This record gives sequence, structure tokens and C-alpha cells, in this order.
Amino acid sequence: MASFAFIVPPLMGHINPTLSLGAALLRRGHRVGWISLDATLASRLPEGGELLHVRYDQDDAAKKDNEQYLDQITKKNVSGIESIKFLYEEVLIPLNRFMYDGIINILHQFQPDVIIHDHQLFAGAIAAYQLKIPYATSVTAPAAIKMMEDLPGIHEWEIRQIVGLQQELGIPGDVSVATSEALTLVYTSKTFFGDMALPDHYKFVGPVILNRQSLHAFDWERFRQLDKHPRILVSIGTTFDHSYKKEFFGKVIDALGGAALTVIVVSAVSLFEEWPDNFIVQDKVPQLELLPYLDAVVCHGGHNTVCETLSHGLPLVVIPIAYDQSHVAGRVIQAASGLRLNYKRFKATHLKEAVWDVLSNPSYKTAAQRIQQSFAQAGGAATAIALLEELAIPKHFHH
Amino acid sequence: MDAITTQQPLSSEQIFNLLKTFITEVIGEEFVEDLDISRESSFTRDLEMDSIEIVSFSEKVKSHFGEHIDFTGWLSGMDLDQLINLKLDDIIKYIESCQSSK
Repeated sequence: MASFAFIVPPLMGHINPTLSLGAALLRRGHRVGWISLDATLASRLPEGGELLHVRYDQDDAAKKDNEQYLDQITKKNVSGIESIKFLYEEVLIPLNRFMYDGIINILHQFQPDVIIHDHQLFAGAIAAYQLKIPYATSVTAPAAIKMMEDLPGIHEWEIRQIVGLQQELGIPGDVSVATSEALTLVYTSKTFFGDMALPDHYKFVGPVILNRQSLHAFDWERFRQLDKHPRILVSIGTTFDHSYKKEFFGKVIDALGGAALTVIVVSAVSLFEEWPDNFIVQDKVPQLELLPYLDAVVCHGGHNTVCETLSHGLPLVVIPIAYDQSHVAGRVIQAASGLRLNYKRFKATHLKEAVWDVLSNPSYKTAAQRIQQSFAQAGGAATAIALLEELAIPKHFHH
Repeated sequence: MDAITTQQPLSSEQIFNLLKTFITEVIGEEFVEDLDISRESSFTRDLEMDSIEIVSFSEKVKSHFGEHIDFTGWLSGMDLDQLINLKLDDIIKYIESCQSSK
């Protein structure tokens, strides 16, 4: 038995794969904890998982100020390349700086054999490096790696931000420790990711989506009662602002309202006074349970939603908004498993055409099934667990 | 667009029109009609191109000029702020400087 500590940001897409991996590790008798700022994560953890909540004294004014940064990501309108600057300067660097001391304290108490930190929580890697604990990097947004190749200037800029924080936290030099050289888990297949020469410690294990408990109720009865039309899910994830959603879902209503389709929309119902009769609107849905019954997905190109969709062999219409989503959309196009629209420019008619195109032209589904197969072959959680357990073996036992 | 051997240096106007053609190919004609593309247009803010569109635009520039200019190298040297502020005029000036140094 070994002990593992995941270090996660308060972002769903980054947490989800760790819940599947954690459940598998727990079943194999290991001790597993999640270091997070979000106390509500406790209710989503698999049975036996421990929440290691990062908390600071209320009277620590500097820490309290920093806490505000965390809300930024859901409240600011950002898109395109500029969003990367925003993400690092206003969210990730403050978030990592804020979490670092708490992470160090928790690691001293929990004493894990292996740390698995999200690639955007480089404070986890910095802490592991400082305490000399073996660590793996969990890459929940792999398009960021691909960006190194496409627009290296952006990647170098990102590294400079990370190295700046490292120096502040006591690691001299300008080499980033943010990506583990022992094990970097990438939750996609090489087929979907595309060609790129990467060191051996990058392991493409495919999406890990099993063994996740769903907490969200769904109106299955209404879902079954609606006509036997094609069924699609429309979601732009959990991190975008209200004003974005109003504009976006307004177009969705114009494009798909009254069509011979069942449209499941992930949105606050209150966004509009009325929704079309062929829509089922919920602010949260059990996405993994729904996917087997769907025919296509319209989304913002969040890596998790895209991979979950392709894991079910379904085609996509991707409308990337910010961060790495443009590159994820690029991969969907490259794989011919869907269509892409520009978030700023698309009109309702474009969405309508794109949805009917992916539904009626079987080549998209066939391509999606090819990716589905490549995911299955990548090994998933079982492969990831084997690699993590190997990392838990003390160094002197290695051959 | 196929690579054309451009031994003859292009005028500033010709380069501008060529870049406009590439932008149209990347984002689609119907959207270009709504845009007032000028030399001062920035790719990110004015043309609202996202990173994958900028990458495919740069591939078109690259394949058109081939070895005559090191467009990829030039673009790679840009950091985030420079990319955010990149405008058509910057590219026109770069191509002109490559032509005049031959």
C-alpha cells in the first residue's frame, strides 16, 4: 500500500480525471487524498478518499485578498490569445502563489509517497520538488503542449511566468519544474493529439472517465417522452460568464428551437424566460450517463467534454471560446470528427447547418469512432495506475 | 494556395491584398464582408481570429513565400503581447524587409 496526493485547481474538467484515477487507486488499497481549496469537493470524492482542504487563518489579510482571484475565471469576459495572458497573470500565478504554503503544510502532515499535481497547479510540482517527493503531472488540457509547437512564443512566455513564481518560492535558476520528468499523464491518445516529438515520460493513457459518481439528477422521463428525434447536448462548460451564456444560448435557441431534435442544454434555466419545447434545460447534467443516448455534442472545446464525447464515438460541433480550446477544436477538425465555428463570428444559421451536417453525414461519426478506438487502446486508468504505482516504489528498488 | 515563386518583389499594396486573400481563406468570405480589413487591423482584437486561425493563416503565408522568408521563425520569436497586438502592417513590413535584403 502506498499513499497518493492529488493537487487540483477548483475547476471541474481538471478534477474529473483524478476522481476516476483516485477511485481505482483506493480500490487497490492505497491511501488517496485530494489537496484543494474547494471544500465542496468532499462530496464528489470516491468512497475512502480524503479531502485535504487548503485553508488559512481568517485574519491573514494578504491571503484573503488573494482569494478573490479565484472568482475571476468565471467572471471575466476573455477570449482568443489574450485569454492566455489573463489565465496566467490573473488566475494561475495568484492561485498557485496562494495555495503554495497550504500545500506544503498538508504535504508535511499527509506525507504521500507520490504527488499527482494538475499541470496548471505548478505550485504542487514546486512543493514536491522542494520536499523531494516523487511527483507526476496530470495534463487535463493537453492542447497546451501542442501549442509549444504551433506558437512557441506563447509557450515560452508561459514558462517565464512559472519560473518567476518558482524563483519567488525558492527554486533558483530558469528551468521549469512544472512538468514532471518522471511521469506526465496525458489524458488523450496520440492519434487524437497529433504528431509531436515528446520525451518518453509523456504517457498518453487516453481519457479516464470510469468510476465517477454522478450527483446530478436528470429528467429521464421527459427525455424518453420526447419524440424519437436525434438527441444532442449543448454545453459550454462551467467556467464562462453569464453574459457569454445569454448571447450564446440565444443563438442556440434561434438555430435549434422547434427543430426535429431533442436538445439538452447545460445552463441556468433562468437565463431565458422561455425555452423551446424541444429543449431540456438543466444547470447541471449527468453528462457521462447521457452520452450513450446521444447522437452529437455541441461544446466549447473543453478537453474533457470533447474526449468524453469521442469516447462514445459521437461527432462534435466545437465553438472554442478561450484558453487552449481553439487547439482542441483544431484536433477535432484534424481528426475529421466534427466541425468548428468561430465563437465571435458564428450566427444561428451556421450552428444549424453544422449540427445537421454532423448528424446527417456519417463520415463524422466514423471518424469519431476511430478516435474512440484509439482511446480504448491507450489503456486508460489501468495503465495510469500501473505507472503511478511504479512511481511509488522507492528509488533504490528500481533496477 | 500553391506556392508561387515570387522572384519579383511585391509592392506593399500587393502584399496587403495577398494577406487579405489568406485571411478570407481562413475565416470565410461571408465573414470578411462584415470586416473592414486595413493595415492597422490586429488579428486578435479586430479580426477576432483565435490561435488556431492565426496558425493556419501563418501556414498560408509560409507556403506562399516558401524559403524566401522565414515567417515561422519570425512568428516564433514573438512573445504573447506581441502576438496579441500583431497587425497586418507588421507582416507587410517584415515581408518588405525580407525582399529588400535580397
